[in-house]
Order: sequence, then structure tokens, then C-alpha cells
Amino acid sequence: MTDSKYFTTTKKGEIFELKAELNSDKKEKKKEAVKKVIASMTVGKDVSALFPDVVNCMQTDNLELKKLVYLYLMNYAKSQPDMAIMAVNTFVKDCEDPNPLIRALAVRTMGCIRVDKITEYLCEPLRKCLKDEDPYVRKTAAVCVAKLHDINAQLVEDQGFLDTLKDLISDSNPMVVANAVAALSEIAESHPNSNLLDLNPQTINKLLTALNECTEWGQIFILDCLANYTPRDDRESQSICERVTPRLSHANSAVVLSAVKVLMKFMEMLPKDLDYYGTLLKKLAPPLVTLLSAEPELQYVALRNINLIVQKRPEILKHEMKVFFVKYNDPIYVKLEKLDIMIRLASQANIAQVLAELKEYATEVDVDFVRKAVRAIGRCAIKVEQSAERCVSTLLDLIQTKVNYVVQEAIVVIKDIFRKYPNKYESVIATLCENLDSLDEPEARAAMIWIVGEYAERIDNADELLESFLEGFHDESTQVQLQLLTAIVKLFLKKPTETQELVQQVLSLATQDSDNPDLRDRGYIYWRLLSTDPVAAKEVVLAEKPLISEETDLIEPTLLEELICHIGTLASVYHKPPSAFVEGSRGVQHKRLPARAGSGESAESPDVGQSGPTEAPPAVIPSQGDLLGDLLNLDLAPPTATVPSVQPSMQMGAMDLLGGGLDSLLGGDIGGSPSMGAGLGAAPAAMPAALGSAPAVGGGLGDLFDLGGGVGMPTGAYVAPKTVWIPAMKAKGLEISGTFARRGGIIQMDLSLTNKAMSVMTDFAIQFNRNSFGLSPAGPLQVLTPLSPNQTIDVSLPLSTSGPVMKMEPLNNLQVAVKNNIDVFYFSCQYPLSLLFVEDGKMERQVFLATWKDIPNDNEAQFQIKDIHLNSDAASNKLQGSNIFTIAKRTVEGQDMLYQSVKLTNGIWVLAEMRIQTGNPNYTLSIKCRAPEVSQFVFQCYELVLKN
Amino acid sequence: MISQIFILSAKGDHLIYKDFRGEASKDSINVFYEMVTALSGDQPPVVMSHKDLHFIHVRQGGLYWVASTKTNPSPFTIIEFLNRLAALTKDYCGSLSEKSVRMNFALIYELLDEMVDFGYIQTTSTDILKNFIQTEAVSSKPFSLFDLSNVGLFGAETQQSKVAPSVAASRPIMSSRGEQGGKNEIFVDVIERLSVVIGSNGVLMKSDIQGEIRIKCFLPTCSEMRIGLNEELNIGKSQLKGYSSAVRVDECRFHQAVKLDEFDTFRILKVCPSQGEQTVMQYQLCDELPCAPPFQLFPSVEKDYVNRVMIFLKLRCDLPPKSTALNVSITVPVPKGSISMSQELSSPDQTAELQPKNKALLWEIPRFPGGAQLSALFKVDVPGISSASLLEVGPVSMSFELPKQTCTGLQIRFLRLSPTQTGLSQRWVRYVTHSDSYTIRI
Repeated sequence: MTDSKYFTTTKKGEIFELKAELNSDKKEKKKEAVKKVIASMTVGKDVSALFPDVVNCMQTDNLELKKLVYLYLMNYAKSQPDMAIMAVNTFVKDCEDPNPLIRALAVRTMGCIRVDKITEYLCEPLRKCLKDEDPYVRKTAAVCVAKLHDINAQLVEDQGFLDTLKDLISDSNPMVVANAVAALSEIAESHPNSNLLDLNPQTINKLLTALNECTEWGQIFILDCLANYTPRDDRESQSICERVTPRLSHANSAVVLSAVKVLMKFMEMLPKDLDYYGTLLKKLAPPLVTLLSAEPELQYVALRNINLIVQKRPEILKHEMKVFFVKYNDPIYVKLEKLDIMIRLASQANIAQVLAELKEYATEVDVDFVRKAVRAIGRCAIKVEQSAERCVSTLLDLIQTKVNYVVQEAIVVIKDIFRKYPNKYESVIATLCENLDSLDEPEARAAMIWIVGEYAERIDNADELLESFLEGFHDESTQVQLQLLTAIVKLFLKKPTETQELVQQVLSLATQDSDNPDLRDRGYIYWRLLSTDPVAAKEVVLAEKPLISEETDLIEPTLLEELICHIGTLASVYHKPPSAFVEGSRGVQHKRLPARAGSGESAESPDVGQSGPTEAPPAVIPSQGDLLGDLLNLDLAPPTATVPSVQPSMQMGAMDLLGGGLDSLLGGDIGGSPSMGAGLGAAPAAMPAALGSAPAVGGGLGDLFDLGGGVGMPTGAYVAPKTVWIPAMKAKGLEISGTFARRGGIIQMDLSLTNKAMSVMTDFAIQFNRNSFGLSPAGPLQVLTPLSPNQTIDVSLPLSTSGPVMKMEPLNNLQVAVKNNIDVFYFSCQYPLSLLFVEDGKMERQVFLATWKDIPNDNEAQFQIKDIHLNSDAASNKLQGSNIFTIAKRTVEGQDMLYQSVKLTNGIWVLAEMRIQTGNPNYTLSIKCRAPEVSQFVFQCYELVLKN
Repeated sequence: MISQIFILSAKGDHLIYKDFRGEASKDSINVFYEMVTALSGDQPPVVMSHKDLHFIHVRQGGLYWVASTKTNPSPFTIIEFLNRLAALTKDYCGSLSEKSVRMNFALIYELLDEMVDFGYIQTTSTDILKNFIQTEAVSSKPFSLFDLSNVGLFGAETQQSKVAPSVAASRPIMSSRGEQGGKNEIFVDVIERLSVVIGSNGVLMKSDIQGEIRIKCFLPTCSEMRIGLNEELNIGKSQLKGYSSAVRVDECRFHQAVKLDEFDTFRILKVCPSQGEQTVMQYQLCDELPCAPPFQLFPSVEKDYVNRVMIFLKLRCDLPPKSTALNVSITVPVPKGSISMSQELSSPDQTAELQPKNKALLWEIPRFPGGAQLSALFKVDVPGISSASLLEVGPVSMSFELPKQTCTGLQIRFLRLSPTQTGLSQRWVRYVTHSDSYTIRI
């Protein structure tokens, strides 16, 4: 007789039959009946009506039957809470049973019954079981605390279970330790600020000892917990690493990955010149390689992780290129990941090998894979200059196959190669033109059109070629239309005599016959440019293009740092931070890598000394790519930069955005827009500005001081020291550093321009992208020309808040373009929100009270300001200097409560309550505002002001 | 943390469903099944998400083994766990199929209860689990011709009697308690997977071998077993090889229960095998094949008349004459637009067919003795052929099975149980090499 008969379909009266069987005297029959009930439950039938009968079977000494009944209980107790109470007595009795199996079973099951009334009865048995003599019972009880916490957190705290759980970390049985660690880790996640998992060198030592003894799954819990610890110094970090490395040879890949995570994180703290650092790097490679011999599912997960590791520390796997070569029977998703890693690892040393492989891949069957392989060849050419020639000839070979999608991909990448190495490979254009007719994908068509337009002077029949595209203009995708418009304008500027008709045709198609606003706008801009000033048009449209970068698809550095902290988790597979896909409070804490010991290497890890005394201003400079993206109005992923960084992380990742079809848009969208053109084109030398010692204010603006002076503010506002916004190497020798200040009601941008190039710089101008608060220059950038080599000049630029508004991410992000006689440079910086706190921001008491009540509680945000050694009056004075006004002060039980208000330039009011406890250096700040997104930034201002 | 675990049949029937944390509803099963069946071939099936619920699954024995979660756990942990769960189910129920899972659902629920608590994985070791498990396994009929999962690993049972019948290893480990039928048997398998890339000039470009020693143990009591490997086994890349015919591997990993105190000097693994299947050692060897690659191909591809490509393949098996390769299949990519093919094969048991959908031709050879050489001529009709079409005849890939062979030369010298088992205990040692990815470029 087998169990499968239980799955036969329900007949009428089946429930009735079961009821009879459940109440039978024979044990065997009872057991069979409960099995049938559970089988029905599994397939989704409702057997809750049998609840009392099943519960009656609970009191038995047959363990098998008991387990079956418990299984049923766990499933249905929630829907029948009143009935579930019937079981309580048996549970409580079972918790006293001499058999540890039964004790553990009872406590485990009780924890799974999520009924309030039951949990009350659970406390006493649980307390006993946590101290049980049998480790099996203790380890079950440890998990039960987590279960109970999930149902009723307050109860767990009141009953003091957390302390008992903490004691279990020192238990003699490693399994108990592992479960206690797992339970505490989970509970701690929902209380980010509690110090539940008090990780100190002693507990760490205990964990490391338990690590060697417990099961593989327990090892994972312990390693994951270790990864949350931040060692005090590099020596401690090294000793932990030494004790974790043996896990790398474990057969369970989950243990290996958790160990890799710990090592990757702690390595960050080791000085790079240490011998051990090199040893560790060598030890990390073999386990990662071994992961690739697992099943495809694990391989895929491993490759996603390796992709992160390779971006962070390419040196680990630089000699292991061969293991990433694809096998013909790899699933396609594994192949594509491998290809991605191959490109990241490609270097001059291995390029020949890589190229040979890629060429083979390009003849395989799978279309997606072939496409990516062709693209990869192009990326190799761009990355390794020495290989460019071979890559181009390989691509030409592939074009010869005439396989449609291969040809199209090849043309798209060749366009990038032209961008990277101008005037080198244009001889192949003829071959490309032969394939014009076979192109049917927008991207390839756009690329081909770009090539024709860009090299119009070398292609005899360029006008015919472009004209042929023009016939079906309205059927093309927007990408192709835009490209065609630009290409024809380029052609016209190069060969004006023959192509006048063509350009008129395309301009009218774009402006009059099209519904697409982008296309129309661009058409009009060209039209006006061409009709007003053909010379200027030439400068704009045929401007020299910036170089494209070598690496593509790099993950933004702060995100990468966070993902490295989550190696081996879902986050590392999605390449998204856990906060993006985990609901609620869990996992929202942003993890970050520890800072390296020794100060000389701050560039390596941007988040240095978050609370150090020489706090840097929160001038976060997101990657260059994002800036360019926004300036070009392209829809890029928003930057996720949340960590203040000292060094501008000039990440040219997305530079080749400008590549290909879009380069000419640079002219169109920035240089070409009327306001910008004017700003950049204005002669800057005309202003006889009084540029004295900093802080310098333009003479003409001196009057404004009087206006601001009426408020009677001492200029006590904190001004952050200048930071480098764009280094010389990224701006052809021009280094720009600066900061922001609010002086007497005037917002100023203090800039230092340094010429580190060999030639003289002139013609400076500045322009801002639209931003959250409408900041814009109130006057031109006044630079005493010329700026000779090695000269530094300090300029203060007054800003107004009447510019165009667009919400930025982060809110206080500002994207700036600076122009000189050499080029236009882009950078982005972040201003402290206190810049926008106006002088008349003091609210009436009554209004304050009413407003505070009026703003919904959801809008309230709470922050901790740590390590402030000021009394409430001093703090209040200091804040007043930055236009944060204290309206009222109340003292309750030794706690000072300050009620404060702030008004932003755009009229937003921010209300705050700051609690200061005498003797406690940590202030609590509650901020309420109708626009809650500003709270975070207001808090940053508080912190800045109070700490300086 | 695991939220739910469920096992589904290939048709989507619910076989096992267990909710550990009460945070997701039972509907998620259907959501999962819809998602997994809608998946196209090029999407990675590993992690799928629906709203804030994430599914991780593996497929074993034709069943879906699925875990869902709402947090950010390690997919490695979950995949490893699901694989262990499947392996344990197989150990306890004898074989892995929809039927055996259905028959033993109570047992599987009991196992799950001990293995996972509130989403935390507790243990997967049979040694620990056997202390708790009460339910007896119900085994399906010992042998059925239709049960294809029985043929699996060693397609070699057609071979001589030296090889243990493969069905012998598919029975529940615990059934011995009740019935008399259980034999005291232990199987030690050395399994290697071979990946090779041979360049168009016939030079070996890349090779690697992934190997493992797997034990399947039916002994009811745990006694120490000593497995002796080749004494001259070298480990590590830097070893000098000298003139000896040393067997070498680059790296090896051991199950945590293996004692290695005699390994360094005598190459003896000491292990107390728990009941069921476990991998005691994994090893790998990269780039240096100790023997010649088992197959060499001599292709020639020509354009014939107007619309035809002639592919002439000569395939030589470089195994020692006593050995045989089984189930050899050769896949040759053909130009796009190939419509038909005629072939000349050297013996009737071979087959060849054109698969226009995959743009490939498939040539199959059921048995291929060592030292033999086979040739075949394929004439493929391709309308609208161009000179570039020949470029599309891409790398040839092969798959095969080499019973009683290890490419590294790793051998089991002896297998001793101590203290000597009361009653009869049978010990079996089996070797097999599978092709993992065997590619020959043209």
C-alpha cells in the first residue's frame, strides 16, 4: 500500500468518512486518516472542518502521528484561532516531556502557529527550552525567538529573550551558536540602530571558533554575520582573513561565496604593500574558478558575482582568462555573462587569444550570442589599442559573410572604433557602403548614416546615399530620423554647393511634416543656425568630439561598493541594492566597505572617516556619465550616489554615450541651444570686476549687501572648504575646485580655476543645467583674462534661484558646463541645502504649532546627529548663523527641546524639533516638511553646521 | 531566509508545499509555474521575481524544486540546499520521480521539518537526520523498463558483468529496517567530465577535466572506510613530473567528513560514509591532458556544384583498443538555408540527420571502439549559396561517454571497510568519463 492513493479525488462525504476514521480506536487507522487529510491539504483542498478531530489525535505517544498532526496544525491554526487554543495544553505538556525530540517538536510547532493567544502561552516553555540541557532543544528554541519576534516584537523584548539569545552565542554547541547568530542577525535587521549583535573582538573570536566546528549551513550564518563586522585595524582584519581563508576550499559553494564576501570586504582594510594582501589575492582565484564547474544555474550565479569582483579587483582573475571561454553546450545566459567578463579581463597580454575566441563565437548558431560576440570584438578594439587593427580586419571578414545580423552589429561597433581612432580606419568605408541595403535595424541604420555624414567629404556619392534613406523618412524610427537630419546638415556644411536642395528637403520634413517634438526642435535649431550664421553652425555641428571611453557598462562605484558587501546574495545576481527589491525595513541599511588603514589611499575608498573632525563637505560628484546624460536630456539610469565622497570620483563610464549617433547632438543640444550658445559665446573679458581677495564679490553687486543687511545677519554661516570638482586631466589642463556660500542673502559659488596646461586659457563662460531649485548664474563668469599656465584664479559667481527647475537625483545635485577657448567641460557637484535657507525663515509660534500639526506624520523623518559637544544655546546660535531659526525652547526632564524653522528660496517651510540631552553627545532631530524629500538634506546641513 | 518550499511535477501539480514563515500566500505556486513555463530559452531561469517574492528553483528528476523568499539570501545557499533536498529525497525514497515523491509525501514533510526551521537551513546530513525521522519509505517497484531515470549514469549496463547493474543503486537507503531485501552494498564511482577545444590545425587548444569521487552507501551502520588512490598522485601545478607516469591533478576539494591524515603520504582517504549519496572528493585538471584527446577529426568542407556543400568527416578514436566510446554524437553547424542532405555512412547502426531549425547536422554513432576510424560524407543542399556560406560551417561539437575510463588516470587502488563488516558487504567501483564540451574547430 502506498501513500499515493491519498491523492485520489474527493468524493462526496469524504470529509464525513475521514471524521469517522480520525475518531477510530486503532492507531494505524488514525495515522492513515491524518495522512489522507494532509494529502488533501497539499493539493489545496479545504479540510479545516476536521480541525477538532485532528487535534484530538494530538495526545499520542506515537511520534510519527504527532508530527503529522502538528503539520496540520501549523497550516490551519491561523484560520481557526479559537480552536487552536485547544492544543495549547498538549503543547505545554510536551515541552516538559523527558524526550528531547518531543520538547523540541513542541516548541518548534508552537512558534509556527501565528496566533496571538498561543504566543502568550509560549513564553514560559520557551524560556525553559532556551536553557534546556539538550542542544537540539536549545537550537530549536533559538530559532523560536526569531519566530516570536516576527509575531510580537514587543513581547520578546519585555520577556528578556534577546539577552538569553545573546548568551547562546557563547554556547558550547556550534549548532546552537549558529542558530543564535542567525536569529539575532534577522532581529537586528529590523532594528537598525539597536546594538543587538554586539560584535566585538571577543564575540568575533567565539564565532571564528564555532566556524570550524559547525555544519556547512551554520558556517554560512556565521560568515554572513562576520561580514557585518568592521575590524578595528588592519591587524585584526588580517587575522580574521587568515582564519576565514580555509573555508575557500569547502565543497559547498555557498560557504565559499560567503567566505569570499568576508575576504573582499576585509581586504579593503589591508595595506596594499603587505605581503599578505598579495597572498590573499592569489588565494581568491582558484575557488572562483572552481565555481564555474558547477551546474549551469550555479555557474550563472557565480558569473554574476565574478562580474562584480572583476570590476572591483581585476587583478584577482587576470590570469584566468581561459576559464571564461564559452563551451558550446553552455546555456545562452551563461555564454553572455562569460563574454562580458572576457571583455573586462581583456588586456594587451591576452588579446590575441581573446580575439581568436571571439571570432569563433561569431560563427555560432545563436543569434543573441553572435551579436554580442561581434560587439565584443569592437569593444576589444577600443580597449586595447594594439589590437585595433586586427579587430577591424576581423570585423571586415565577418561583414563578408553577409549574414544580416552580423553585418549590422559589425557596423554599429565600427562606428565606435572610428570615434576612438579618428583618421585611421576610414579606408573600410567603401566596404561598409556596399552593405547599405541589407541594414534593417534602426541602430545599424543610424550608425551607417552617422558614418556617411561624418565622412561625407570622403564618400563621393554621400548625397545619393543619404537621399536614398530620405525617401522613407517618415517610416524610420526616431533614432534614424534624428541621425539622418544631422548627417545631411553635416553633409551640407561640407559640400554646400551640391546639397542645398537635400538639406532643405530634410529640414522641411523634420519641422513641418513631423509630429515628433525632438525632431522638430532639432530641425528648427539647425535651420536657424544655418540661416543666421553658417560659420557658427559649422563650429557647432562639426565640432571636435570628445573621446569615448574604454570601458562600458561599468557599475557606478558607490553601487559597486554596496554590491561587493552583498556578494553571494540575490543583490549580486540582480546587480541591484537590496533596498530596491526587499520590502519594508529589512535590508535597507546601506552597507559599505570599510576604509583602508593609512590615509594615503583615500582615493581607493571614497568614503573616508564619515564622522571625523575634518569632515569634508558633502560635495558628491556622481559619475561624469550621468551629468552628460542629463545635459543631453537622455534618459539614463539616475545616479545612486548617496555616500558623500571626498575625492571626486570622476568616472568616465558613460562617456561613449556621446559616441556614435549622438556626438553631433552635443552640438545640437548644448552648444546649439540659443541660451547656451549666447552664454558660451559672450565675450567675457569686458567686466572690470573687482576681484580682490576671496571672498570676492563683484563690485556692482555690493549694493545688494545693503538689501541683505536689513536682516542684520552676522556672516556666521559655515562655508565648506573648496574641493576639486574637475581634475586637470579630465578637462584638458583646467582644474576647477570650488564651494558654495551664502553671504548676506546672496548665494555664491566660489571657484578656483587653475591652468595646469602649457598654453594660455581665455574666454571663460559658465552655464548650469536645470536643477531642483532653479539655481543659475546671476551674471557672467568674471575671469581676468588670460589665465596663464600654472596660474590660479579665484572667482565668486553670484547665483540666482530663478532659473528653470527640474528635479535632480540627488536633490541637491548641480550639473555645470564650463567653457574656455579650448573646449567645453562638464562636471557636477552638490551644494549644501543651507545655501537656500532664507533670512526671513523665522516662523511665528502659533503658525509653527498649527503647521506642525497640519503636516501628516508620514512626512516626519528622524535623524541622529552624533558627537556634538555643544549646549543647546550654543547649538542654536550656530544654527542661526545658517538661517536655521529657533522659535521656542522647552526643557523637560533634563532634555532640551528646540523647535526650529527653515524656509527655502522656493517657499518650502521645514520644521524641526531637536532633542538635546545633557551629557549625551547625540542629538535627535525630527524634521517635518510637506516635501519630505528635502528632509535628508536639511539634516545634512544640521550636521555640517553643528560639526564646524 | 527561505519563505516557502514546494515541489511541483512537470505538469505543475502540487506535490509538496511547505510554508515556513507565513509571509507569502499559497498562490505563489501558480505564479511560479506560470512564470517558469513562460520563460524563453535565453532568459536565465535561476532567479525569478514576482512583486517582492523571489523564486529560486532547480529541476531534478523531472520535478521543479522551488524555494521562495522575500529577503536577500544567498542563491548559492538555496540552490545547494535544493540539490541536497533532491538528493536526500532520492536517498530516502530510492529514486527521484513524481511517483516516488507522491508516495512518500509524509516522509518528505518530515524531512523538511528537520531540515529547515523558520527558513533557516538546519542540516542536510543523513547521519543527523536518521535520529529524527520516523516515517518509513515506501519504494516503488524495484525495476521498470519504462522508468528511464534508472538508465542514467552508466548507459553501460549492456557491457560485461563487471559493471554493477545501475538499478542496484536506486533503492531507498532506509528500507532495510523493515524488509530483508536490503543488501550491504557500497558503490564508489569515479566520474570525470572532459572539456576539450581542438583548433582547426588539430592542435589541442584547451582542455580541462572536472572529476569527482562519489559514494553511494547502503551500509546500515557507520564504519570507517579507507579509499586508496594511486600512490603516485600529484596535486598542484608546480610539481615536477620527472620520468614517472605520475597521475596529476591541479586542485582538489574534500567533503568535510573526510579525514586526510593518511592522504599526504599514502593517498588514502578515510571516511565514515553516511547512508546515501555523497561526493567525497572533487578535483580538476586544466590544460594538460595526460593522454591524447579521445577523438581526432579530419574534416574537409567544399562547395560542390552550384547549390551544394560537401562535408567529409574522418573521425578517429584514440582510446586504447580494448575500450569503447558509447553514444557518440557529432553536431556540425551547416549554412543558413540548408534544406536537405544526403549522406554516406560506413555502417548501418549509425544515423545522421539534418536539423534545419538548429542549422546543424547530427551524426550519431552508438558504439565506437578504440583505435577505429570512421568516415562519413554529407552533401548538404543550400539554395543561394555564397562563398561566405562555407564560413558558417562552424566548430564541430561532440558528446560521448567513456565507460571504465578516467582521463586523468586516477584509480581506486583499494576499498577497505574496517572493522570488517559482519555479514556480506559488496563493494563496487565504477569509472566513467563524460564529455562536457568537446569542440573541434574547422
